[in-house]
Amino acid sequence: MLILQLLVNGVLLAGMYLLMAQSLNLIFGVMRIVNFAQGTMIAVAGLFTVWLATRIGLNPFLAIPIVFVAMFWIGAIVERLLLRRITLRGTQGELMTLMVTFGISFVLINVALKAWGSEYVSLPYLQSSWRLGPIEFAKSLVIAGAFGTVLSAALFSWLNFTGSGKALLATSQSRIGAGTCGIDAGRMSTLAFALGSALAAAAGTVLVLVTPLGPQSGNDLTILCFVVIALGGLGDYLGAILGALVVGVAQSVLGFYLGGNVQVLLPYILLILIMLFIPRGLSLSRLAR
Amino acid sequence: MRRRFGALALAAVAGLVFAACGGTAAQPSGTGGGPPIALGGSISETGNLSADATYELQGIQLAVEQINSKGGVLGRRLTFKYYDDKSDAGTAVRLYQRLITQDKVNFLLGPYSSGITQAMASIPNKYQVVSVDAGASLPTIFKAPNKYNFSDVASSETYIEQVLPIAKQHGLNKVALLVFNSAFSLACGAARKQQAQQLGMNIVYENTYSLPVPDFSSQALGIKNAGAEVIIGCTYYPDAIGIAQALNRVGYKPTMFAETVGPPEAGFVKTLGPIANGIITNTQWWPSLHTPGNSQFVSSFKSKYGIDPDYHAASGYAAVQILAEGIRRAGAIDQNKVRAALLKGNIPTVQGTWNCDQYGLPVGIKNYLAQYQGGVMKLVYPENVAEAPIQIPYTGA
Repeated sequence: MLILQLLVNGVLLAGMYLLMAQSLNLIFGVMRIVNFAQGTMIAVAGLFTVWLATRIGLNPFLAIPIVFVAMFWIGAIVERLLLRRITLRGTQGELMTLMVTFGISFVLINVALKAWGSEYVSLPYLQSSWRLGPIEFAKSLVIAGAFGTVLSAALFSWLNFTGSGKALLATSQSRIGAGTCGIDAGRMSTLAFALGSALAAAAGTVLVLVTPLGPQSGNDLTILCFVVIALGGLGDYLGAILGALVVGVAQSVLGFYLGGNVQVLLPYILLILIMLFIPRGLSLSRLAR
Repeated sequence: MRRRFGALALAAVAGLVFAACGGTAAQPSGTGGGPPIALGGSISETGNLSADATYELQGIQLAVEQINSKGGVLGRRLTFKYYDDKSDAGTAVRLYQRLITQDKVNFLLGPYSSGITQAMASIPNKYQVVSVDAGASLPTIFKAPNKYNFSDVASSETYIEQVLPIAKQHGLNKVALLVFNSAFSLACGAARKQQAQQLGMNIVYENTYSLPVPDFSSQALGIKNAGAEVIIGCTYYPDAIGIAQALNRVGYKPTMFAETVGPPEAGFVKTLGPIANGIITNTQWWPSLHTPGNSQFVSSFKSKYGIDPDYHAASGYAAVQILAEGIRRAGAIDQNKVRAALLKGNIPTVQGTWNCDQYGLPVGIKNYLAQYQGGVMKLVYPENVAEAPIQIPYTGA
């Protein structure tokens, strides 16, 4: 029964990780940019949610649409003013975009430090569990996992079954090909970065219910997100589910049997192993094909 | 793809370099009967340790301000130049080098946390500059060859030392130890483990963790599975919160639940809500204690910052009191004379009368236990100063 509880905890944690990581996938898939501000966007959204809840008494779930829309527009502006102006081709372009997203991360961290201070905060909300037989289901993780799953399904459906989603997907597969079909690749990049930023923000509003966040939590979250999508295959939406499950379950089980030090080291060990042995990740989509 | 990963690694290193290059903040210097006496230090304004460290900084700044308002020291004003070490030991070491070699400060105030002080401790001795370290409780820092470091906080090994004897009196036997992987917490955890063994108690769960742990549910489940009656958490602020949240998530309430550092901060109870009720913690200072100037310190701190001080604020404030009195008694900005004056001790502070041994380790600092009861932290031990009796079991509601 203990191992079942550990697996349940791991799966719930995986739902949280999927929610956090999927927007990194979206941005990489379309723009070929690994957004190093991803974790900071998540953390800042979490802090903003706490501010909304403590200052005006707004329920954290009601904060989601506000944070989502705010971050969507911030993402769109950042893409148009910064990322659009960088030549994205070649190694130099990749490095430039990485440095820019690093820069965005530091700007966000410092704005958050000025606005809310450096303290780690969380919210006393959904702190208990639902009990089903002998198994405890942490409410905050269930909600986060369910939210992550619904958002992932919605994103997957939108990408595969709607005109605008297919246009975005087409751009991610071939910018030139999409352009010759009349798709505005620049507009798709703006949409991808804006939507990716908004999804990261949505993750932050839920994550802050699970664990305390501070302005500088972001870098560790970015690494975690990166491991999840690298494990699943960069840009592979289905693979990210598998990546999240591997990281979540491994952290839950190893955290119990081997302790907290191993739990924290695990994403970094996985990252090294992926780089060495499966640089293209597990890539479920490729296997499905 | 491999090239992309390589680029990422390069960018990550660059990012860390950026992160280490902190901004500076300095208090404007003033004029008096001579050039100002420059104090310098680093403090963790950001990072994992910032919640506790910010109190220490506020205590230091208040003490400097108040001493200056009374004419300064030796007719000269004090200034305090500090930098953010971002809770990083390597950054702190560089900053202390800079404070001495570039900023030419006269005296040092230590950083927050034993781990960071341990890293910088050789610098005051290398340059023979007196450093009063308000954030360091690790006794091994204050040993030979270190001669210029002085502490004003109790030893790491004594934090929450009263909890296990009280648990034993209540017939509790099964102990869980959760220890953060830091110099302070490891020393405290080792001492509590030894104490449990000496008391004949059974350690049923033991775990060391690093931060950031995304979710402490695995550890909480381990504690639940072991049926621990007493939880000893050798923690700092973020993990103190995370552990309490996770225990609640797995539906486990131990009979006694104590955490070393974190609970005294105002954000702790705001973040946890009712779960905080019953959590026991350590403090070395309390607003109601009848120590020299304590009530004035409490009211002026609250007036300046709008919040109540905690013991980190008191130790920061006391560090400046100790250093200022040492300079006053030495009668000059002479490191060896100031060091000799400090070694004589008997200096009144808001924490009580300060004394130290030949290596600057404080003597006679008392530890108290405080506990959240009805959303308010109350002093509960020892009984002669307690505001309320200790509540057992932990309610978490």
